[in-house]
Amino acid sequence: MEDKRGAGALLAIVPGLALMIATFLFAQWLEGWLKPFTVFGFPEFFGRVLNLNYIIISIIMGVLYRNVLFKGTIPSWAADGFRTTRLFIKTGVIMLGSIYTLGGLAKLGLQAALLISAFVFGTVIFVMWLGKILKMDRSLVGVMGAACGVCGVSAAVATSPGVKAKPAEVALAIATILGFGVMTMFISPFLGNLLKFSDYQYGVWVGTGILNSGQVLASCLAFNPIVAPGTAVAYGELWNVMRVIIIPFVVFVITVWYWSGNKEEAGGQNISLLEILKSKFPIFVLGFVGMTVLSSLGLLGQEGSETSHLLRTLMQWIFGIGMVGLGAYIDFGEIKAAGGKPLIVGLVAGTTKYVLALFMTLYFISKDAPF
Amino acid sequence: MRVLLALDESTQAMDEAVRLCRERGAALTALFVLDGNWSDYTGHDWLSGSTVRGAYIEYAGQEDIKDSERLAAELRARAGDLPLEVKLANGVVREEILKEAETGGYDLLVMAHPFWRGTATVRDTARDLLGKLPCSLLLVKTPPHDI
Repeated sequence: MEDKRGAGALLAIVPGLALMIATFLFAQWLEGWLKPFTVFGFPEFFGRVLNLNYIIISIIMGVLYRNVLFKGTIPSWAADGFRTTRLFIKTGVIMLGSIYTLGGLAKLGLQAALLISAFVFGTVIFVMWLGKILKMDRSLVGVMGAACGVCGVSAAVATSPGVKAKPAEVALAIATILGFGVMTMFISPFLGNLLKFSDYQYGVWVGTGILNSGQVLASCLAFNPIVAPGTAVAYGELWNVMRVIIIPFVVFVITVWYWSGNKEEAGGQNISLLEILKSKFPIFVLGFVGMTVLSSLGLLGQEGSETSHLLRTLMQWIFGIGMVGLGAYIDFGEIKAAGGKPLIVGLVAGTTKYVLALFMTLYFISKDAPF
Repeated sequence: MRVLLALDESTQAMDEAVRLCRERGAALTALFVLDGNWSDYTGHDWLSGSTVRGAYIEYAGQEDIKDSERLAAELRARAGDLPLEVKLANGVVREEILKEAETGGYDLLVMAHPFWRGTATVRDTARDLLGKLPCSLLLVKTPPHDI
C-alpha cells in the first residue's frame, strides 16, 4: 500500500473531496429546482410529499456513486477524499455543541440519559435472551448486544476485541446493523411527517430508536435540514451524544458478562471499568461540551448574531458534504450479504426498539421541548 | 498445470484443490489474504475515536494471523506429500486474489462459495472475480457457517 505523507497526503484528498463538495452544491441546486413542481395534483410534491431536500439528495448521490458509478468500491483516486467523511461529521457534531446552553443541556440531558439508559440496557438484555434462544455464540451475542443497544458500528467495533469476536462475524453484524439503519434512515422522515411529529418528538424518537449514529444524524437532517436550537438535529444529536457516553459502560457490562460465561478459558481476562473508560470514551464529546460552555459564556456570539449565523451555515455545509460521504459508504452488495443469526437478531431487536420508541414518543413525549 | 487455492475456512475447497493437483500432477499454491479492508468497511463509523478503531483493526489483524497459521497447517495436513506453497498477502481480499491470479501464471483458481474471509464474507467474492480472472475458476460449494 502506498504511504502518503505531508503534502502528498493532502493532495490525495483533493479529487474525492472536490467530488463531495460539487455533489453537495448540486444537491442544493436540485432541491431548489424541484421545489415548484406539482405532481399528481400536489403542489411542491418533492419537498412536501416526498420530503426530498438537499440532505436526502446528497445521501442518495453518495449511494449512487458507490453502488452504480464505482460498482461497489470507492476508486483509489477518490478514496482518500471520501475518507474525510468521518472528520466532517465529527467536526460538525462538535460544532453542534454551540447551539445548546448548559442550562438546556442539563434540563434535556437528564431526560435523555434516563430514556437512553432504559432503551440501551433493555435492548442489550433482550439480545442476550434472544441469543440464548437461538443458541448463538457468546462472543457474537456480545457484539450484537452492543451494536443493537448503543449505536451500531462504533459499539460493535468497541466491543469485539473484549469478547473475542471473529472478524467475519463482526463483518456480518455490521452489515446487518447498516442494512437496518439505512432502511430506518429513509423511512423515518416520511413517517415523522405523516404523524405530524414536532422537531422535538422526532429527535427523541430517532435518537432513541435508530441503531446507528450516522443514520440518526442523517435522518434528523433529512426531516429538517436547518441546524439551529429547536430543530430535529439539535434534539436527535443530544440523545445520540448521551448514547455515545454510555458506550464504555456497555462495553464493560458485556465484557464482564462474556468472561463470566467463559471461566474455563485459560488465563481469563482482567476487566477494569477505568481502563475501558480511558480507552473507549469518545473524546469528541468533550469538544461538544466545550462548545456548549463557550456558547453559554456568550463567547460564540448571541443568538441571531453574525457569528452564530456563520457557525450554522458552516455546520450545514459540513453536514451536507459529510452526508455525500455517508451515502458513499453504503454498499448494497455488502448489506445484501448480511445473514445468519445476526440478521435475525438485528431485525427483531432493531424493529422492537424502533417501534417501542415510536409509541413512547407518540404517547408520552409532548410536542413542545423544554428548550 | 498450476493451481491457486484462495484460503478460507472451507476444508471442502482444500480437499478439492488437493485432489485436482494429485490427479493432474499439478503444483498447488495457497493464498491467504490478511484483510486490509476494515478501515473502509467501518467508514460509516464516524464516532469511534482513532484509538478504538485502531485497537479493533489491530485485533482483527492478529486474528487474521492466527487464522492464516491454523488454515495453512490444516491444508498441509490434508496435502500430505503434495508440493505446496502458502503465500500471504495484505489488502482487499478480492483484489489480492485477482492480483495473484494475474501475476502467478495459474491455470485454475479454486475457492469456496460462499467465501468466508474477513470483510469479504459480506461480499459475493466469486461474482466480483468473474470476468476478470485470467484463468479458470472452480467454485466449491461449502455449507454457510452456522453462526
